[in-house]
Amino acid sequence: MKNINTACIIDDDSTYIFCLKRIMKTANFCNTIKVYNNGKHALDHLKYKMENQMELPDVILLDLNMPVMDGWQFLDQYMKIKKKKSIPIYIVSSSIDPADKNKLSTYPEVTNFISKPIDKKKLNNISSQLVN
Amino acid sequence: MNFENLPAELEIKDESLFKFIQTAAKIGVWEYDIQNSSVTWSDETKRIHGVPLTYIPKLEKGINFYREGHSRFTITQVLKKCIENLENFDEELQIKTAQGKYKWVRAIGRPTVIDNKCVKVIGLFQDIDKKTCNAINLANREKQLRLNFEHSSVGMAMLDLGGTWISVNNSLCQTFGYTKDEFLKLKYIALSHPDELIESKKVLSNMLLGKLNNYQQEQRYISKDGHIIYAYLSISLIRDIHGSPLHFSAQINNLTSLFKNKKKVQTLLSRTKKQNSRLLNFAHIVSHNLRSHVSNLYMLLNIAKEDTPKLFENEFVPMIDEAVNQLGETIENLNEVATITSSKMEHLVSINLLEAFNKVLKTLSALIAKSNAELILHIVPTVNIQGIPAYIDSILLNFITNSIKYKKTNKAPKIEITSQYYENTVCISIKDFGLGIDLNVYGNKLFGMYKTFHNHEDARGIGLFISKNQIEAIGGRVEVKSEVNIGTEFKIYLQKA
Repeated sequence: MKNINTACIIDDDSTYIFCLKRIMKTANFCNTIKVYNNGKHALDHLKYKMENQMELPDVILLDLNMPVMDGWQFLDQYMKIKKKKSIPIYIVSSSIDPADKNKLSTYPEVTNFISKPIDKKKLNNISSQLVN
Repeated sequence: MNFENLPAELEIKDESLFKFIQTAAKIGVWEYDIQNSSVTWSDETKRIHGVPLTYIPKLEKGINFYREGHSRFTITQVLKKCIENLENFDEELQIKTAQGKYKWVRAIGRPTVIDNKCVKVIGLFQDIDKKTCNAINLANREKQLRLNFEHSSVGMAMLDLGGTWISVNNSLCQTFGYTKDEFLKLKYIALSHPDELIESKKVLSNMLLGKLNNYQQEQRYISKDGHIIYAYLSISLIRDIHGSPLHFSAQINNLTSLFKNKKKVQTLLSRTKKQNSRLLNFAHIVSHNLRSHVSNLYMLLNIAKEDTPKLFENEFVPMIDEAVNQLGETIENLNEVATITSSKMEHLVSINLLEAFNKVLKTLSALIAKSNAELILHIVPTVNIQGIPAYIDSILLNFITNSIKYKKTNKAPKIEITSQYYENTVCISIKDFGLGIDLNVYGNKLFGMYKTFHNHEDARGIGLFISKNQIEAIGGRVEVKSEVNIGTEFKIYLQKA
């Protein structure tokens, strides 16, 4: 099922990125994959694209623990940007800290929390959620 | 009283004066005529013995008034010596009056000698009971006080007005390391900690000036071998009935060990706090970094399984797969354990026990049906306990699942669940008739981590550990009774809501 054109992965773990790309391919998740290794990198690019009316990703898969700017810091900055299109954001993390899960409720931009490891099934869930 | 000059015959000119003297001084006269074998008692003597004035005394009876034991023995001896050796006597002895009361008396006697032979014994008899009893009481009280002073565990002392020690007890000597003799050569301020010297001098002089009557304070002193003593001082000035100062009275409570222990506890506390935060850090690391790496391994192996299934056709790769799974499970277990190490006492809510059980039994309905388990529930609907819902679910789930899991082979599991009030707790009993556990062998390892007692494929070894930790985190405790091949009973005590 392919209704996602561009998926955006924001994560610093290269092994994980390799796996996720592979799984996305086998699951036929999307057409294009854009990868950013930390929150700042992603923020700068997304801002640029928004300001220049360029194509934006259809879904963002955001990790929490990253150098320079982590997931929460990214969200804090992202919320401040004036957006014409709201992009569904999924937090993907290996953290099981209940404090992290509780923090979700304070970020309305976030659609859901997915725990690593990711598999085909979880990707299909995202796809079906995005249809609705 | 010197009776050397007592006349041989008591000739009293003035009968009434004589009687007055006897009554006023409680002194009676008596006479034993040896030739006639007769005994004469004056009225006062009769009164002292508690007999009527018509009483006719006899020697035997007279002696038998004396208290059996020392008194009777003594009077018999001195009377004999008086008659045979012409010796005077003057004894303080006890008699038993005709009313049965014990009385101290002074018995004085001297022989009347004619031709070197004793023909009569005459003497005086005085009631000294009150005085003697008072003296004995006083002596006893003094002894008690002295013992108290000596053996008190608090250091006690008396100081003269110049501040020199006059009397010290054992405890004080032990505290400071000086002997009693050494103490008496010292002044109070000699023992003061240098920083408190001026204060100490001021206190003593203020008390003498009448500005202060007593003084209580934590003080530091220096012992004989130069160590610091932490103590609590209580000192007061003792005055006589006219208000003139007599001496100082001091109590010094040695708090050094208390002080040292307090320091030890503080050090331990700070060390424990540091360790705790280190452990929490570790838990965070487990919670995230290890999980990230294990999750990558999972994903890689799954991709490999799909992409290149041939890879799994040797003996090694499937074992790598299995090892990664077990690693993942261990991390899950550690996570569960790490999150329940903190007490949850502030987050307790009231939970209805019957509802909690029903919820759990519903969750387990498939397992119960499959195993044909018989469950007998005796819980009153009004019983409420204090806990955290997630913990209660987990605890009840674990114990009931265990009872089903560890049933006797080829026999359907039977579980009895009851609850009753015990002091201010609710005691939940979960009793099964399954395999049982040999407590002699496993005893205190029962609730340990990774301890299994049966070769059951599902025995993780961590369920009881987690349950016990959860029970304790909500202020409860758990006990177990078990016999192999008979069954097991777990008693869970939780706080009443």
